[in-house]
Amino acid sequence: MAKARAIVKRRKSVQNIRKITRTMELIATARFKKALDRATEAEAYTRKIAELVEDLGTTSTEVSHPLLEARPTVKKSLLLILTSNRGLAGGYNGNVLRAGWRTFQDYEAEGITPAVEVSGKRGINYCKFRNLHVDATFTHFEDRPQFDEVEVLGNRYISMFIRGEIDRLDVVYTQFINVARQQAVVQTLLPMTASQVGDSSPSIRQSKAAASAAGPTAVRGERVPYEFVPDPKSILEEIVPVSFKVRLFKCFLDAAVSEQISRMIAMRGATENADEMIKSLTRLYNRARQAQITRELAEIIGGAAALE
Amino acid sequence: MATATTTGRIAQVIGSTFDAEFEEGHLPEIYNALTIDANEKGITINLTGEVQQHLGGNRVRCVALGSTDGLVRGMAVVDTGGPVSVPVGKETLGRVFNLLGHPIDGRGEVTTAERWPIHRKAPPFDTLSPKTEAFETGIKVVDLLTPFVRGGKIGLFGGAGLGKTVILQELIARIARVHSGYSVFAGVGERTREGNDLWLEMQETKVGATGKSVIDSTVMCFGQMNEPPGARLRVALSALTMAEWFRDSTGADTLLFIDNIFRFSQAGSEVSALLGRMPSNVGYQPTLATEMGALQERITSTSTGAITSVQAVYVPADDLTDPAPATTFGFLDAFISLQRSIAEKGIFPAVDPLGSTSRILDAQYVGQEHYDVARRVQSILQRYRELRDIIAILGVDELSEEDKVIVHRARRIERFFSQPFFVAEAFTNKAGQYTTLPETIRSFRELCDGKWDHLPEGAFLYVGVIEQAEEQAKKMAR
Repeated sequence: MAKARAIVKRRKSVQNIRKITRTMELIATARFKKALDRATEAEAYTRKIAELVEDLGTTSTEVSHPLLEARPTVKKSLLLILTSNRGLAGGYNGNVLRAGWRTFQDYEAEGITPAVEVSGKRGINYCKFRNLHVDATFTHFEDRPQFDEVEVLGNRYISMFIRGEIDRLDVVYTQFINVARQQAVVQTLLPMTASQVGDSSPSIRQSKAAASAAGPTAVRGERVPYEFVPDPKSILEEIVPVSFKVRLFKCFLDAAVSEQISRMIAMRGATENADEMIKSLTRLYNRARQAQITRELAEIIGGAAALE
Repeated sequence: MATATTTGRIAQVIGSTFDAEFEEGHLPEIYNALTIDANEKGITINLTGEVQQHLGGNRVRCVALGSTDGLVRGMAVVDTGGPVSVPVGKETLGRVFNLLGHPIDGRGEVTTAERWPIHRKAPPFDTLSPKTEAFETGIKVVDLLTPFVRGGKIGLFGGAGLGKTVILQELIARIARVHSGYSVFAGVGERTREGNDLWLEMQETKVGATGKSVIDSTVMCFGQMNEPPGARLRVALSALTMAEWFRDSTGADTLLFIDNIFRFSQAGSEVSALLGRMPSNVGYQPTLATEMGALQERITSTSTGAITSVQAVYVPADDLTDPAPATTFGFLDAFISLQRSIAEKGIFPAVDPLGSTSRILDAQYVGQEHYDVARRVQSILQRYRELRDIIAILGVDELSEEDKVIVHRARRIERFFSQPFFVAEAFTNKAGQYTTLPETIRSFRELCDGKWDHLPEGAFLYVGVIEQAEEQAKKMAR
């Protein structure tokens, strides 16, 4: 019976794990919907700002802003890695950290040791494991990142960039492409070049498609001539930092959505795997139990027959 | 021992056992061999039986050591006055025998100065040899985790089709090739074809640089699957008796290979009920442990010479707690367990690195470094096994970074345990690899240290030393 008992014990522990993963799947599903709504709402604003900056950049060639200037040689750079505080999200953290680590090594190959800032406990632990010096860590960004929290960060980066403490800012995060696809990407947020602004087209393709159907992008091609009041410089000074912060915020939002969806998918897979394991363990147990019964019967019958 | 031969009559035939009736006062002793030589209705019967029980009423119950077909009541039975005996001596080298000591290779009679009875006493314990010395095989997983003891007993446990016989034949090829003493091979209840293959192969294989065939220093003894249970029950003893002669008379190191010791227990169980014994646990004979003990205690090294034995043990239904393999455990110095889960991954030899062990895997016998490396390898694999359920449910991404590294290395170590065999060269198209013990230890130490983490898993399959894995990785990359 020893074998059958061991199987029962193992099955019980798998059943407990299944309970946890199933619950986490449901929670992640609910949170994902909320996070997705938030991301979609921010989407339109982000896109419009991006368009505006792009248009400004193309229409008035004489304008310049410190944040838009690409420095010829990058001496110091900063790497911001967005991970989650909690695990059980499948490959979510692993992918981001792998992308981050690769970028870090690329920089080191060029002879630059970038400063590293990490958000999320998972990333902090990873850096500890890799013996990577981390300049700043954040654990307060949960699944609902607030704009004012991100703004603090954004302002700090802007001033660092302007003061020349950093020549480049890369954000490593998980881009939310659609429900079935999220990708760990490295995006250079500073310096903002006009073309990059254009590149950072809305990541939520679905909503973009919906928006373009509504019309506003149809006007884009016409190149509306702008009239700057009071003057282009003051408008740029206002709008460029805002655009940067909005884009930074969107990175956080994307990361939050991706985290929840990764967790949802991972937990669904885990629940299915657990189900399968329970099934095979049950089968194994039944077989072990039946084998034992058969054996005992055979022994009794054999014994009785031998005595005759 | 009664010397006068007496004649009796068959009183009853039950399957592969029969009862014989003798005259008052002329009852043969237990284990005496009885012979039947008759010609009934054109069928020639030439049968030997062995007395197992005295039934009372001047009757004895015997196990037939051959087929009982055509046996009828009233046939004359001659008591030979002693147990079955087999020829022993150097004349037996290069020959193939059955359990009665008759040559079956068709090369004529073997005449020796002596014949020894197959039932003998185990050497008294004051003559046993206390030496403990490791024995290199060149198989990485065996040398690292289950070092063989010179003059010790090694068991190869495995279910159906896991490669017990292949490993045994590989060991013969490896050990006998460099071995200076004599070898005895006992084929107990296994396939006849395998026996034939082995015989042919031994004629081709040369020992070292001497140009002599392995067969010239080998005796083979077969009682294969097709033979009745009595033959399978006794053939191991016949082979052992020949090996004992080499040990006691020549003092040379003798190797005894037995394939498969489980068939010995199985044959005992087949005749047990016919002999009127009540079946015991799982239907085995109640005398299972006694029979096994009588055989195993004779396979031992004494102050005059050493017998190193390698025994394959079939494990019914992959259940190591089955009484037959379980009674064999206690007698062994090294225990190699073959696992189906490993064989299913295509890793051969499918040695279970956590279930296999050796008495001398201890720093005082094998040295501190060997011991440390072996334990490190085992702890990595142990951790991997503990994590397997988590990986199966949640995926490898949920592990902590430390555990990921362990899993990464464990998977490489697992694959690195595979090794191309000499006897399988024709099937795998890969030359057999002999890895010396220091090389094995170094390779595994470097693997544990993470020196080879960058190579892909596939590179570790079927190579010898670790540098070959590197070469294979390069080949794969191309």
